[in-house]
Amino acid sequence: MTTPLVVLADLAAFALGPILAVGVIQRTRSVWAGRRGPPILQPWFDLQRLVRKTAVYGHTATAIFRVAPWVGLAAAIAGGVVVPILGVAPLLSFPLDFVWLAYAWGLGRAALMLGALDTGSAFEGMGAAREATFATLVEPALFLVFGALSLLTGQHALAGLLAVQPTSGGDVFVWGASVAALTVVVLIEGARLPADDPATHLELTMVHEVMVLDHSGPELAAIQATAALKLALGIGMLAALLNPWSGDQGAIGLALGCNLALSLGLAVAIGSMESLAARLATRDVPRYLLGAVIAGGVALLGTLWQGAA
Amino acid sequence: MIGLVAAAGLLAGGAVLAVILPSNRARGIAAILTQALACALVVGVVVPILRGAPAVTGLWHLSQPVDDVPLRVDAVGAFFLAWSLPMTLLGTIYAVGYLQPWFERGRNGAPHFALLNIVALSFLIIYAVQNVLIFLLGWELSAVAAWLLVIWEYRDQKTRFAGFNYLVSTHVGLLVLVAALMYLHGQTDSMDFADFAAVLGVPGGGRSLVFGLVGVAVALKSAFVPVHSWLPRAHAAAPAHVSALMSGVIHKAGLFVLLRFVLLMRVPDEWMGWAVLAMGAGSAVYGVIYACVERDLKRLLGYSSTENVGVVAIGFGVGMLGLAWGDSTLAALGFFAGLVHILGHACFKCLLFYGAGAVHRAAHTVDIERLGGLARRTPATAVLFGIGALAISGLPPLNGFVGEFLLLAGLLDGSAPTAASNAALVCVAALLATVGALSVLSMVRAFGLTFLGTSREPQPGAEGPTVPGAAAVIPMAMLVPMGVLALACVLLGVFPTVVLAFMPPVVGLYGAGTSGPAHLLAVLQSASAGLAGAVVVATGIGGARGEGARRAVTWACGYRLPTRRMQYSASSFSATVAALFATFLGTQTRVRLSRRAMPQRAGSFDLSYVDAVERRIFEVLGRGEAFFVRSAVAVPEEPRFAFAAGLAVLLCMAGWLLSESTL
Repeated sequence: MTTPLVVLADLAAFALGPILAVGVIQRTRSVWAGRRGPPILQPWFDLQRLVRKTAVYGHTATAIFRVAPWVGLAAAIAGGVVVPILGVAPLLSFPLDFVWLAYAWGLGRAALMLGALDTGSAFEGMGAAREATFATLVEPALFLVFGALSLLTGQHALAGLLAVQPTSGGDVFVWGASVAALTVVVLIEGARLPADDPATHLELTMVHEVMVLDHSGPELAAIQATAALKLALGIGMLAALLNPWSGDQGAIGLALGCNLALSLGLAVAIGSMESLAARLATRDVPRYLLGAVIAGGVALLGTLWQGAA
Repeated sequence: MIGLVAAAGLLAGGAVLAVILPSNRARGIAAILTQALACALVVGVVVPILRGAPAVTGLWHLSQPVDDVPLRVDAVGAFFLAWSLPMTLLGTIYAVGYLQPWFERGRNGAPHFALLNIVALSFLIIYAVQNVLIFLLGWELSAVAAWLLVIWEYRDQKTRFAGFNYLVSTHVGLLVLVAALMYLHGQTDSMDFADFAAVLGVPGGGRSLVFGLVGVAVALKSAFVPVHSWLPRAHAAAPAHVSALMSGVIHKAGLFVLLRFVLLMRVPDEWMGWAVLAMGAGSAVYGVIYACVERDLKRLLGYSSTENVGVVAIGFGVGMLGLAWGDSTLAALGFFAGLVHILGHACFKCLLFYGAGAVHRAAHTVDIERLGGLARRTPATAVLFGIGALAISGLPPLNGFVGEFLLLAGLLDGSAPTAASNAALVCVAALLATVGALSVLSMVRAFGLTFLGTSREPQPGAEGPTVPGAAAVIPMAMLVPMGVLALACVLLGVFPTVVLAFMPPVVGLYGAGTSGPAHLLAVLQSASAGLAGAVVVATGIGGARGEGARRAVTWACGYRLPTRRMQYSASSFSATVAALFATFLGTQTRVRLSRRAMPQRAGSFDLSYVDAVERRIFEVLGRGEAFFVRSAVAVPEEPRFAFAAGLAVLLCMAGWLLSESTL
């Protein structure tokens, strides 16, 4: 099963994936904009620069403000270890580990929201409120998808769910709806378009970025690393769901290579989508998320079709 | 059994002492000491039972009219006794600190401390006595004692109204429960709970009727939707420790009755499981939506109680479905999850209510729209309340997550007999996840706007807009109980297998093996410990990055002179989520804005949410009353009609009585 080589590969993916994911997306956006763009490793240089800087705190900030970004990073890692980022085997796998993933990331989200409220700012509370509200629609979509996949496969661990191989008509139905719902969830969790734009400059339209307006230096680095890690893990998850050899112990090399290619493709696709699509108005985002919930419900209905057949 | 009787005697003696001792200090000490001794005695009795020893039984010889009263503490009763009394003790310790300002004004605390002892005594009766009549006496004792505790500030008309509201609700519940028990007594000619199994163990109309009646009684006692609205009122009016005691401990008696009846039924019908599940899901969703928008901290916590009993009921519903389907793994997961969540809720809800009391002590208000910045005035309260808030949000590695994890494991088990049932359970799981996310929102809002940022009202002695104001002194008598509960929240969360030391016999009563939950808890323990370690490291990094750093004004789009009122407000925080769930919310706005181009006076806008279900109930009642008034007016006012109607009623009654007596 989990050979030392796979563990090493997973660790490497954990370390490099976030940087590459953000770097590839940035490069894709540059290409679409007609620029040469920064090097792929630019996010790594950015993090280094931030870590060297001295932080500046607001007058009202307490210890919560300083602690929150690190708790967020810790929660993202502790939750993320169950994700089969390379489509082969995750670092850790246990029954109901997707529940663990969702709730551990919930802790990180709560920490970030508290850090935002700690500044007593007029804007950051707005970001926290939006993040919390969108989370209430992300969770049902996520659990409907994982519940449907769990009924379909009879598995209870994330790696097993994502290794589903659609064969019959009902399977394809469940699988397709799951891919759709999970894509929305990944884009929201990674704070990408069309709901959120990491490159926006207007506080009133930001979601994730407005929460971190007051963070600087190493704290900001921790927050950006967290966001990049969640994005990379999300892309890995989506790739594993799309990957036809995902979780195939007989063809580890094939599964791994296919997952890497798919992840790269997804990063390019996200970058292209961000270059071509417009941002949704903030009031329309709940509707976009409801679409994901409905897709999750469709996936669940697909299992009924499966059960009848 | 001697231990329990001695504990009851101690508690009664303590109540008497509290009344006759001369000073409030001595009364408090008497209540605390007797309760501590009673706790030790009770724990001595129940721990062996929870470790697997057989149930303790006894017989209490009473003369007429009750005859002998059988006493029996099985694992279920032992589980409830094990934490109910210690929680009451913590509340009594807290009361000594919380009521200090009243005592300094010369208020006599004798009845209050005596009533706290009586509440503890009523738990002994409810959880140990098998005789229906004495059980109902204990039930009534706890209800009336709670009512008297709620109306501590009886001079306030609102408090009296809240008290009566509670009293009426709890007595309607009592009536329904009496009806169920009378029916069972009529069928079995016995006053012993154990004998009711003869009726309840057989599927059929009688058992369904009893289940329906008991369901209503439980809903009223534990504040399920739609009969929950007495709860936020009573909790907002009562002193903090009384709210805690009611919400965390007394209401759980309703869930105990549900468990007791399920135990007597052995194998419930499938529809009963679905009914409990639906009741729980409805309460969880409705409660958490109001917890998201409520601006009174104590009302918010009250709604969160409705949410949490809902979560527990989902667990019991899953357990009952497991019993009905003969699936012992599912039954174990469901009941285990429900019981873990009951214990967890007792810990964090009491902690949060104590925290709300400390907030009231520091800021003299619990209106979130006016609070803020308390973390810098009373850091200890902030840390403890923060732990409680994260725990109640169901976030790992704290104890709120343990119950939810087991519950989700049950819901996503995929072992139901039909595909449709499986899909329905997955839907409930998604609903539960939504409730979890909403509860994170509500608690981040409650904690963040109360303790973080800076006060939204000007503070005496604090000139600048960001200066927090003088440090608030919270007495140790209030902080220590909070600390104990916070520690329990952390320990039960990081080491969830601890519950395996005392919970398997409880679940075992339902014929369910506990290897499934035990395995899940062991796995969860490693994960939780890992996350806890990571959080500790993270806190260390954040903490080590010291206070010496540069400080600057908070970013406000380049504006450099922010004021207190410019902070994000509580109603803005929940505005989007309120819009999403507008169907379930009743809004009340008060707007005073000048329409002139040059306003002469400052305008105001005030938004609050009223309970939609309660408002609807009163609307329907009002409409019914209007109908009767209209009908009465339509009837001509003639004495002979009234006379004839009276005679007809009398004749009918006489005829019915005669026909009964001839039979």
